[in-house]
Amino acid sequence: MAITTKTARTRWNTLHKNGPFPLKWFLSTKLEKKAFLPAQLDRYNDAATEMQTLLKEALDNGEGFRSIGAKWSMSSIAHDKDRMHFSAHLNIKIPIQSSDLHAGTSYESSNLHLVQCGNQIKEISHYLENLGKSLKTTGASNGQTIGGCISTGVHGSAMDVGSVQDYVVGLNLIIGPNPNDIIYLERHTQPALNDSFANKIKARVIRNDGLFNAALVGLGSFGFIHGVVIEAEDAFLLKRYVRKIDKDVALELTKTLDFENSTFRIPEEIDTQGNPLRPYHYKVYINQYSDETEYPIEVIYKKPFDPRYKEIFGDPIPFMKEFIYRDLIYLFIKISERFPKSIPKFIKALSRSILPAEDDVIVGRISEIFWDAGYQGRAFACAFGIAHTDAPKALNVLSKLTIDEGPVPGIFAMRFVKKSKGLLAFTRFPTTCMLEIDGIQWKGNGNIISLERYAERMIEVLQQHNIPFTIHWGKNAAWNFSGLATHMYGNDAALWLQYRSALLSEEMASVFSNDFLKTLGLSHYFTNADPNLVASL
Amino acid sequence: MRYALTTILTIFFLSLFLSCYSVRVKVSNGPGPEPADTEREDALSGMMVRKLDTIVTVKTTTDENPINIKTCDSGALHTVEYRNTFGGILLYLATFGRKRTVKITYVCVKDQN
Repeated sequence: MAITTKTARTRWNTLHKNGPFPLKWFLSTKLEKKAFLPAQLDRYNDAATEMQTLLKEALDNGEGFRSIGAKWSMSSIAHDKDRMHFSAHLNIKIPIQSSDLHAGTSYESSNLHLVQCGNQIKEISHYLENLGKSLKTTGASNGQTIGGCISTGVHGSAMDVGSVQDYVVGLNLIIGPNPNDIIYLERHTQPALNDSFANKIKARVIRNDGLFNAALVGLGSFGFIHGVVIEAEDAFLLKRYVRKIDKDVALELTKTLDFENSTFRIPEEIDTQGNPLRPYHYKVYINQYSDETEYPIEVIYKKPFDPRYKEIFGDPIPFMKEFIYRDLIYLFIKISERFPKSIPKFIKALSRSILPAEDDVIVGRISEIFWDAGYQGRAFACAFGIAHTDAPKALNVLSKLTIDEGPVPGIFAMRFVKKSKGLLAFTRFPTTCMLEIDGIQWKGNGNIISLERYAERMIEVLQQHNIPFTIHWGKNAAWNFSGLATHMYGNDAALWLQYRSALLSEEMASVFSNDFLKTLGLSHYFTNADPNLVASL
Repeated sequence: MRYALTTILTIFFLSLFLSCYSVRVKVSNGPGPEPADTEREDALSGMMVRKLDTIVTVKTTTDENPINIKTCDSGALHTVEYRNTFGGILLYLATFGRKRTVKITYVCVKDQN
């Protein structure tokens, strides 16, 4: 039997110490040992039984229940004051066989894998690499669990790919303690697995695009995500460049994403006609305190896999260890090490400094390019999703706010992500620019704006300038801003609530509702939700 | 004068015993470390960290493997941080290598399923 350790606690904190938050019980489940239950499916189903027991306990005690993974979110989305469940040990990976495929599927069985919720990006990559496969995209680092990634919308800057949730093709949800509360959910227009496979995991099948898209970015509130079916692809390489280019060119590219006709070019990355190639990934770093005329940009090109890549280009890991543009927090922490601790002095020093050049070209697998970042101290991060066509305008507005009403110990970056089908995915624009400011935590006082007030002002100025936006679910924000969910998602927020109400019983909806959800007005339950919303189509 | 000399010598020898350095070795191409929910604020945050702080007596028969680690479900180590002290070196010298101070912090590889 899978075993859960239950510990009484008074508090819990995120990886980057954005709490602490009050807590009564901390639960941690470990799988049965392979020696006692060798078959993966048996261990998977055994874990499902254990999870249903835990959900029943929460239900019987009238308490909330929330599963957490690697606790990378800086918002309180992962927190519940009653029961928090550590899922990172639930890491079974099951390759899908051709006999498991739905008759009408367009997926190749070799690309499909059922991965349990607690699998971290790094270990999924390791598993896939041994099969000659790769994840399509990841975040800037690799420590998040797959359950946490899709619940909060973790993204990289793969312009034509999307976020992590966008290669999930099936969801195994546990929505309560009863036998029919184990569900295998997938899109009816893009089925992946057959009923026979669902039977193996003791799940009832729902094929329904609308419900799937609602549950895909479920904010941890659409039931317990026991496992997901991901679509991988053949192994590939990424070739990474960092260049400092004229900031007008960098910003024009954010607006057009028209690399083929841009003046920016890397001599090695052109087609046979001499036109620049479209990169896989584009990222711009901005020190808003500096008048520098150039911005560092990171462009990554996708290349066919060559098993000799380390011999040809060198081992990417030693480069990555020294690479300053690993992710935005890492860059900022590395810069801040050289500067005074006092924030005004620090900002003054930042205004006189330029972001460093980085000329090494690195080639590696996705797991090596977006490598370990881990804990970098007490950090904050605010990230807004905007249409990429609004990127220069939004940067201007938020930079001005940061300079005029700051100082804020952080710097900006922009990444670009293809639209997600997830109903509450913050990547909801045709191509979303994720405009983010990351930095070190600070305390506000009479002279320095607080993070809470700054987060509020960011929303206000975007609204004042009529820039439609979303906010990254896992980052710092003024989540209690009036009417925020409806402002960001319009009718989709109400539709999400309808789907959730149709899927969950009222009692279980309460179990899966936390303060974060309540603050946003996303815990409302419609007792008259249309049952057809959850019909298998 | 004598008091000052004694104090200086005491501080010197204490610093010898307390002075130390550490080296961290990490596997970079494996599936990752065993996770844990902790409030650590260092590079091992988010990992299940175990410590070994002991003095081993090495005999001819145990010289190869004086310490065995059995706590990793995966059977593999992800990170090992070895700490060395002057006190440990002195003990090693004084006992002609028979007694060795061992201060290790380690993280297992996450068990794969």
